[in-house]
Amino acid sequence: MRRWLTGWRVSLRLARRDLARHRGRAIIALVMVTLPVLAVVGADVLMQTAKVSATEGMDRRLGTVATARVEILDTLTGVVQAPDPLNGLGSGEPLSRPTSVGDIEGVIGHRTMLPMPTQTTEVVRTPHGKETMVGTQLDASAPLARGLFRLESGRWPATPDEVVVNKAARDRGVGNTLTAVQADGTETTREVVGTVADATVRSAAIVVGLPGSLPVLDDAGPSQAWLVDGPPISWSQLERLNALGVTVTDRQIATHPGDYPDPLQYSSSDSGTTMQVVALIVVMALIEVVLLAGPAFAVGARKQQRSIALLVASGGTPAQARRVILAGGVVLGAIAAVVGVVGGIGAAWLLQPLVQRFSGDWLGPFDVPWPHLLAVAAFGLLSALTACVVPAWIASRQDVVAVLAGRRGDPKPGRAFPVLGVVLFAVGILMAFLGAGGHGELTVAWSAVVCVLGMVLLVPVVVSWVALVAGRFPLAIRFAARDAVRHRTRTTPAVAAVAATVAGVVALGIGTSSDERENRETYQPSLVMGDASVTPSYSYVSVDDGPTDWSQVEDVVRDRVPGARITEVAGVAQPVSGDSWTDVQFRDPAAATAAVDEGQGEISPGTWGSTLGSDVLVSDGGRLPPLVTAADPGGDVARALRSGRAVVFSSDRSKAALERVTVEVQPTDDEGQPVDPHSVDVPATVLYRAEDAATPVRAILPPALAQRAGIDAAVVGLDVEQPHLSKTAQKDLDAALQDLATPATVYVERGYEADPMARIVQWVLAALGAILMLGGTLTASFLALSDARPDLATLQAVGAAPRTRRAVAAAYTFVVGFVGAVLGMLVGFVPGLAITWPLTAESYADGRGPYLEVPWLMIAVVVLGLPVLTALVVGLFTRSRLPMATRIG
Amino acid sequence: MNTPVLHLEGVSRIHGSGELAVHALREVSFEAYAGELVAVMGPSGSGKSTLLTLAGGLDEPTSGRVVVEGTDLTAAGAGGRARLRRTAIGYVFQDFNLIPALTAAENVSLPLELDGAPSRAARAAAATALDELGIGDLADRFPDEMSGGQQQRVAIARAIVGQRRLILADEPTGALDSVTGEDILRLLRARCDAGAAGVLVTHEPRHAAWADRVVYLRDGVVLDDEDAGETVGARR
Amino acid sequence: MSVKHALLALLEQEPMYGYQLRVAFEERTAGTWPLNIGQVYTTLSRLERDGLVTAGETDSDGHQLYRLTAAGRAEVTAWFGSAVPRTQPARDELAIKLALGVSARDLDLADIIQRQRSATMKALQDYNRLKRKATDLGHELVLDSLIFAAEAEIRWLDHCEAQLRRTADRAVR
Repeated sequence: MRRWLTGWRVSLRLARRDLARHRGRAIIALVMVTLPVLAVVGADVLMQTAKVSATEGMDRRLGTVATARVEILDTLTGVVQAPDPLNGLGSGEPLSRPTSVGDIEGVIGHRTMLPMPTQTTEVVRTPHGKETMVGTQLDASAPLARGLFRLESGRWPATPDEVVVNKAARDRGVGNTLTAVQADGTETTREVVGTVADATVRSAAIVVGLPGSLPVLDDAGPSQAWLVDGPPISWSQLERLNALGVTVTDRQIATHPGDYPDPLQYSSSDSGTTMQVVALIVVMALIEVVLLAGPAFAVGARKQQRSIALLVASGGTPAQARRVILAGGVVLGAIAAVVGVVGGIGAAWLLQPLVQRFSGDWLGPFDVPWPHLLAVAAFGLLSALTACVVPAWIASRQDVVAVLAGRRGDPKPGRAFPVLGVVLFAVGILMAFLGAGGHGELTVAWSAVVCVLGMVLLVPVVVSWVALVAGRFPLAIRFAARDAVRHRTRTTPAVAAVAATVAGVVALGIGTSSDERENRETYQPSLVMGDASVTPSYSYVSVDDGPTDWSQVEDVVRDRVPGARITEVAGVAQPVSGDSWTDVQFRDPAAATAAVDEGQGEISPGTWGSTLGSDVLVSDGGRLPPLVTAADPGGDVARALRSGRAVVFSSDRSKAALERVTVEVQPTDDEGQPVDPHSVDVPATVLYRAEDAATPVRAILPPALAQRAGIDAAVVGLDVEQPHLSKTAQKDLDAALQDLATPATVYVERGYEADPMARIVQWVLAALGAILMLGGTLTASFLALSDARPDLATLQAVGAAPRTRRAVAAAYTFVVGFVGAVLGMLVGFVPGLAITWPLTAESYADGRGPYLEVPWLMIAVVVLGLPVLTALVVGLFTRSRLPMATRIG
Repeated sequence: MNTPVLHLEGVSRIHGSGELAVHALREVSFEAYAGELVAVMGPSGSGKSTLLTLAGGLDEPTSGRVVVEGTDLTAAGAGGRARLRRTAIGYVFQDFNLIPALTAAENVSLPLELDGAPSRAARAAAATALDELGIGDLADRFPDEMSGGQQQRVAIARAIVGQRRLILADEPTGALDSVTGEDILRLLRARCDAGAAGVLVTHEPRHAAWADRVVYLRDGVVLDDEDAGETVGARR
Repeated sequence: MSVKHALLALLEQEPMYGYQLRVAFEERTAGTWPLNIGQVYTTLSRLERDGLVTAGETDSDGHQLYRLTAAGRAEVTAWFGSAVPRTQPARDELAIKLALGVSARDLDLADIIQRQRSATMKALQDYNRLKRKATDLGHELVLDSLIFAAEAEIRWLDHCEAQLRRTADRAVR
């Protein structure tokens, strides 16, 4: 034990001094380990700061004084709640009568109860037009409400005619008065008497007034909820209140969820997956950091080989020799951890205001999550230590006699490692297959890790091949390739770091490109390409606008689109008021009604969709919308309609033989209750459409049959053929349609448009890959140049031009970058191809997918462009002259 | 004086195998007693450095026995050999003898610290050894801050620290000028007179002449005065 | 070896009489070159004849002291200032022995070389032993001269051996 301790003492001393003597190399290794630690710590601190803790959250929801908030849910049932009702709420036994305040007092005794209904959405007139704001109806000046709002200027509202707003509302132009729009469209004006700040919301506009001061647009009226004071509510009281249909947000209970039973068994079922994802990210980051820091440690170990040989000659054991290198990792790792954590906290502190600017809510207090940070610091230490493992192992096995005689004493590379590499790679491919075969994305991701590990073991073999081939190339490349092989311990991690990066970029690139291709190819146009449709727009406020005035709409369209060919599309007319709706289903007359309830016997296409205003149209076969005509080249639809038959589309080929179908009409009233369901058998033509074939509508009825089925037919939309609208013109037309008494909206079919986010993600990926690749190749090149000093001096001595040094540096960078990139590309294809299965193969679709698209351009940029670019950068920035090189190092 | 500190018995060492086999040493027997300095001479490739690495347990003989202070190095195993290097054998090399990251005193105390000696005791022993070699004032210098001769003195101090009795010196004067080199040999000579056994590998007859005995190596074979003719003849 | 110049150099330091000069010379050169007293007096009389020294006063014991003249002083200065000429090599018995041995049959030249080397090494060891006792710098320098000469001989023998073996190797091929 004592020998063990003193052994470490000597090793740590050696490591510390060695690092102090070779600052440049130490800094490279340090940066590679510190930066990830710093970034993760900074991000974590910011996230924790932005995240509102349970206690902080209670202060925001209950203010600082109130004990709890109780709310009577008017569902006439009891409730079952999690300790925090926001985390889970279920319904209980039915109640015989509505719960009253007295019932609540019966449970928790007589307390001060300050009404605090749930926040509502207010429509407010501002200089910009109508806007929505968050409304709170509460006596904000009451002691119980303390902490919910802070008065910044002015005074609290004293009467229901007065309100206060926040700065965001002021920014939208709210002055001394505020005009709110009521549900019926009439407007009321309130006097704004002050400016407040909400405890949570920063950027959204809010308005606060006494109860009754603000219109409630919701039919249900203001919710019945109160802040209460007094002692904390006990769990048994909570259960009794729950039984009354009252939810309780108690400060004590909600902030200590672990102390109470959770009747809903609220469990994070996905925590296993989350843990796996976290583990995956940690492992991947660890591999990358280790590989990036590896060359510096390898060179450090090489420079220390004579010291270690002397140590062994003085009686040091292999373990003690290893420890000298490992101690270097410990020292650097510890420094990196401390600097990273401190720097990360500092960076987060500095970035806090910036993040606040982008966040709509107020950030919580500056929060340093020490347990997380300790884990991140441990990660830094671990990665530095791991980066030293191989150099340390090599150092302890070096040929001491050779090193002491001034020769290189590298142990022979074990033949087992490439074999193990091949095995690992094979296992990776197998895992990728399994993942593709249904084990999912995570398996594929793990397969990438295994493949990369296998590849790392194969890098030395590949590098030595490269050196063999390099014999035919110009001096600089030849020199660089041979040097790369001679310094295997330095080259391997550098190449592997590049390869791992490229593998990741390629895999994700293939994944996103294929995903994109799936989206493109499975895109179902809502209209004929280039056509436009106009459909009613249901505005927020006026739900009782009445039927759309189509002639007005058509006038506006004709005004904006001269000579427009407009087709009026008729379909099932939907009532415009409340929640009422008319549902139309089609079924096989032979199928039992009971079966229909379970979805059997129903006749419907697999996928349908359009912006025609309804999925059941009414037409005599005269002027059919172009989309319908386009989907029916044989003219079957028009023919059937003209002969008075209904047309119903089905994805079930057997239904195509039907001559009659049952039309079921199911209207519901405003409350969503079914009224007067009826059905009728009609002659019909059932047209087969493949499961995934784009079908515009479910069915088209001739007017006579629609009438027989009791369906009100009306114009539901307009189809405008080829209006040639630019996006701006479309916006203008839309604005004009919105301005009508019965507003409408326009849609223009422009075909598939790539999600700009996917583009951005791809570029961010490429940029990140480029940065990591630059980091890997640049550090390796820097180390190689300092290693190759004597050789370059010899080159110069025999008359090489000064630019040879630049050329060698550039060539080395290129060799590392290119070999790594090619290897990485090959490795990346394994998980990249595999991931396309779980990503793009639809499990329910018959035969379509998986979609595969290899982003060759991006791969070319990464595999060819980046190595050339980095080589040029290195070539440009390398000093061509050696500063008085000597052969003794 | 009756048992040698270092004893090589019929030691052979073959590097490589088959066609490429190199016989670095053939059936070499050799002793070094306490109080004796033995010089080993021979042209490069004669096996003199191999003899030294075998004596120090940095390499193992293909056949034969190497015994240091009564311990068979082959039987002792790698750990045992490392322990012997910490406690019984001291090495002095041609140059770059010292670990650059450690001070003179730390270099000297290294074998003791590796052996688990308490820091203070190791320091004290190092100070004593440095004083004995007349360089006590260099204790806190780093190798970079010392001349070649001073570095070699520190190396000798490290070789003798902790009552070690076998000093293996491989061309210890190779990188020094002749006067400094001679100083180093005087020191070695003095250490042997004080009771250590020294083995000095050199190609300079002038330095070998400081030894009590000179052993000539040719192609891995010892030429003795008495049977030199025989050996050479046999080779023919 | 110029006895003449050695005596002049000694006299430059202080006036001395014949026997004293011999002792001083042997002391400085560590008795490497024994000097006959007769040779001393013969040389002194020649020097006096050439006007390089004068026989002057006698000391308390009645020894005749010799003293350097101005010309003698100039001669010493000139001697120290000039390089010692590499004269025709002395007849080296060893070299002749080996040269003749090369052509002789049934002779193990390697054995002769090794014997000679051992002998020279013994001499070298003796010189080193003397040197360990030496206290006078001049004495040490003379010993060094012998040491380096002996070393040169051993190296030459090493070289001979190597040449011999290379020739033998060629013959075998």
